Amino acid sequence: MSPNGEVWQGTLALMVLKTLEALGPLHGYGIGRRIEQTSGNRLIVNYGTLYPALLKLEQEGYIASSWGKSENNRRAKFYRLTRAGRRQVVREAGQWEEAAAIVARFLRPESES
Amino acid sequence: MRGVRAWLLRLFGTLRPARGEREMTEELESHLLLHIDECVRRGMSPEAARRDARLRLGGLAQTQELVRARRRLPWIESLFGDLRFGLRLLRRSPGFSLLAVLTLALGIGANTAIFSLVRSVLWSPLPYPDPADLMLLSERSADSGDTTSTSFATWVDWRARSRQFEEIALARDWQPTLSGAGDAEQVTGARVTANFFRALRVRPALGRDFHPDEDTPDTRRVVILGHDLWRRRFDSDPDIVGKTVLLGATPFLVVGVLGPDFRPLVSEAMVGGKAELWAPLGYDATQPWACRTCRHLRALGRLQAGSSRDAGLAELTAITGALWKEHPVDYPGGDVAVVPLSEQLIGSARPVLHVLLGAVGFVWLIACVNLALLLLARASHREREIAVRMALGARRGRVLRQLLSETCLLAVLGGAAGLVLTVVLPWALTAFGPRAIPRLSEVQLDGGVLLFTLGLSLATGLLAGLAPALRLTRGRLPGALREGGTRTSAGAPGRRLRGLLVVAEVALSLSLLVGAGLMVRSLWRLLDLPPGFDAGRVLTMQVSLVGPRYETDGAVRRHHDEVLARLRALPGVEAAAVASQVPLAGNYDSHGFHAEGRMAANPEQDPSAQRYAVSPDYLRVMGIPLVRGRALAASDVDGAPRVVLINQTAAARVWPGSDPLGKRVKLGGTDGPWWTVIGVVGDVHHQRLDETPELQMYVPHAQWEADSQMIIAIRATGPPLELAAAAERVVRSVDPSQAIFQVAALDQYVSTSVAGRRLSLVMLAAFAALALLLSAIGIYGVTSYGVARRTHEMGIRLALGAQPVQLMGSILREGMALAAAGIAVGVAAALMLTRILGALLYEISPTDPATFVAVAAILAAVALLACYVPARRVLRVEPTEALRGE
Repeated sequence: MSPNGEVWQGTLALMVLKTLEALGPLHGYGIGRRIEQTSGNRLIVNYGTLYPALLKLEQEGYIASSWGKSENNRRAKFYRLTRAGRRQVVREAGQWEEAAAIVARFLRPESES
Repeated sequence: MRGVRAWLLRLFGTLRPARGEREMTEELESHLLLHIDECVRRGMSPEAARRDARLRLGGLAQTQELVRARRRLPWIESLFGDLRFGLRLLRRSPGFSLLAVLTLALGIGANTAIFSLVRSVLWSPLPYPDPADLMLLSERSADSGDTTSTSFATWVDWRARSRQFEEIALARDWQPTLSGAGDAEQVTGARVTANFFRALRVRPALGRDFHPDEDTPDTRRVVILGHDLWRRRFDSDPDIVGKTVLLGATPFLVVGVLGPDFRPLVSEAMVGGKAELWAPLGYDATQPWACRTCRHLRALGRLQAGSSRDAGLAELTAITGALWKEHPVDYPGGDVAVVPLSEQLIGSARPVLHVLLGAVGFVWLIACVNLALLLLARASHREREIAVRMALGARRGRVLRQLLSETCLLAVLGGAAGLVLTVVLPWALTAFGPRAIPRLSEVQLDGGVLLFTLGLSLATGLLAGLAPALRLTRGRLPGALREGGTRTSAGAPGRRLRGLLVVAEVALSLSLLVGAGLMVRSLWRLLDLPPGFDAGRVLTMQVSLVGPRYETDGAVRRHHDEVLARLRALPGVEAAAVASQVPLAGNYDSHGFHAEGRMAANPEQDPSAQRYAVSPDYLRVMGIPLVRGRALAASDVDGAPRVVLINQTAAARVWPGSDPLGKRVKLGGTDGPWWTVIGVVGDVHHQRLDETPELQMYVPHAQWEADSQMIIAIRATGPPLELAAAAERVVRSVDPSQAIFQVAALDQYVSTSVAGRRLSLVMLAAFAALALLLSAIGIYGVTSYGVARRTHEMGIRLALGAQPVQLMGSILREGMALAAAGIAVGVAAALMLTRILGALLYEISPTDPATFVAVAAILAAVALLACYVPARRVLRVEPTEALRGE
């Protein structure tokens, strides 16, 4: 996460998938808001890049979409995780944790000894 | 996988953009509404909420653009855009487009045509399983170098001792007369050993293969039919197997029919088509024609899996070496040859095709150069457009891509137009006869050819377009943008490049023209060569007598005499004769020639001579000159002293320095009677025009064992083929049941014998003419462009008092300087390149000065014309008009 609180491109996809895994079908705005809330409002999602990212995930078959009604009765496009998406969450989360752990070791080398 | 799926979806999105667009708009709208709703809920004013929502989305238009870029494939869209733009440009300058497309159609079309030819003929495998293992085996005698045959006795030993070869089979040509239902017809076939089809790994589609016990002298009356013959003559009778067919007077039992995709080996015979039926050879070692020196059979070997040609050759050499030791009398020395079947089939066509491949390559390069020249000329009109684009921020790569997609579009259009040539060429080539290029019928337009065309077109577009495009985008903005930028006279941009291209083009054409010129002169020399006979006005036809009526020699001779008598009575017939063989018709019959007192210790080493059994008028019909002694006479009949005529070569070779007249010879074996030499006649080119004549002898047909198959030769008073129908009627009037075939003018045989040479000549000449035309267009284009560009300058010079003729001279000088440089480079290149033609030339040096000079002169003349036409325009320049444009 960059200092000004914008979401890195690569991590956005994982956050979207994780959000959908946790909350079930959700529309784009809801996904963005949820990511911000989960980060304790320390992240600001650029909605302009959110939609291309959703489209990419959909083209790759990790999520699927359909039109539905929102809680306040607005027509919205809802995204949900596919089975491939579920597998992808596990895989990517694992990779991410591993990468984070490695970086963490570099940042606190004294705990190594 | 995921990537591919996404890519395909995007490609689909590119092709059908409307649906995605609508969905995207709705989704973004709904996003804004949801956002606004929430902000309002948190107490914002609706206006502030709307502003905030739009702000957070990062601008609706930008987001839409981002989504679009993800939904589709932007580069494909811009490519389509470039192509659409290119098409518009092409439509706007139809003259340029037409010229460019035509140039490319010729350049690419010629290449595709030759590619499809070469691929089918040279590169595609033979239509048998594991064709690379099939070899032709032959003994090669030390003196003649003949490599196509072996003898039965040798084959027996080869077969028994060889381990490298899985099968070795024998074959010889066979031309039986198929009679029975319908007209008697002569068909081409082969006598083969029983393992022949096993060696090819071909099985009959109907019935069975030959049994080994059918391949013996008394039981060889079985036959396997080719698919075409079965369909043509037997109406595809599914029950044909087990029925009998009449070949000559002999019934043969049909045991099998081959499938439709079987391709027979190319027959050695000059005339007659592909083999259509096969019967067992039926030899055994006791027969006189099975002897070790009776080398008249072709041996086909299939190597064991895992063996190689070298191993096969080594083994065969060892076996044959041992045979020489065992039978020293029968083998005069020499060696053996193992040649891949494919090689033997393609044979002499290979160098021809390689030369053609090279020639079309040149034509292609010239077409590329021409396109580049055209593009350069047009580029000057686009300098400003490109400069403006780049000034407005277009990256160089983007502009290059646009320019190159335009030239590729042109090239692909040209390539598509050129496909016409690909279809027409093989069809046109068949006009030269089946002998000119083997496997021609297998040439076809298919995916491979289309892919080649597309690839070549794109390569052309890139190659020809690159230099002009690079030049255009070099980005010297101020000059290009300046008003009047296209009118600068001095240092016209790209002049050096253009000059270089013209030089290259002229040099390429010169090399091609020299090659074609050398081939033309070769063919002339060959056709000029006296063949030893006068082929004009001679009609030949082959007759074959079948049935019990012709069992005695007397009956056959009486028939021939009767036919000749009736023919002589026919108006339009000057003379008529029968002969066992005629030159250039593909017959080959030679016998041992044993001169009294000059026989070798081993008679097998005596020379052999081509034997013609002829009726007395033969020499007259053929126009063969009698040099000494007397000709054959009607009195030289059976029972009279045996007489023989020999040719000059035989006289000089066998009796050097002494008079052959009155000398005696034995013919064939040494146990026969003596024949007395009564005359010497001129040499005849029997097999090919470009061979040295061999020993030849003429015996009276009445004194030789009668042959039921003879050739009737008629000297007509007019065009021989006009006589054909009447002559055929006369011959049939003697016996309606006999087969008549190969009715042809002797001239036709002469032209068939040079068909291959003529074909390569015509094609090379066509390509050279194409090259000449293209270079003329190139020179014309460059000069005419130069003149147009310099109209302004010319105007000034005229106004200052220069003579128009002087100006024209300077333009001509410029153009001709380029042409001269091109000719110089071309001569140097041709001196090195024409050596490749080697074997295709006949009695002419690859560096023949006359040809070089003539070609250079032709090219210079064409260049002068191509410069003169546009240069003349200078004479019409009005100084005031030219200057007014300021």
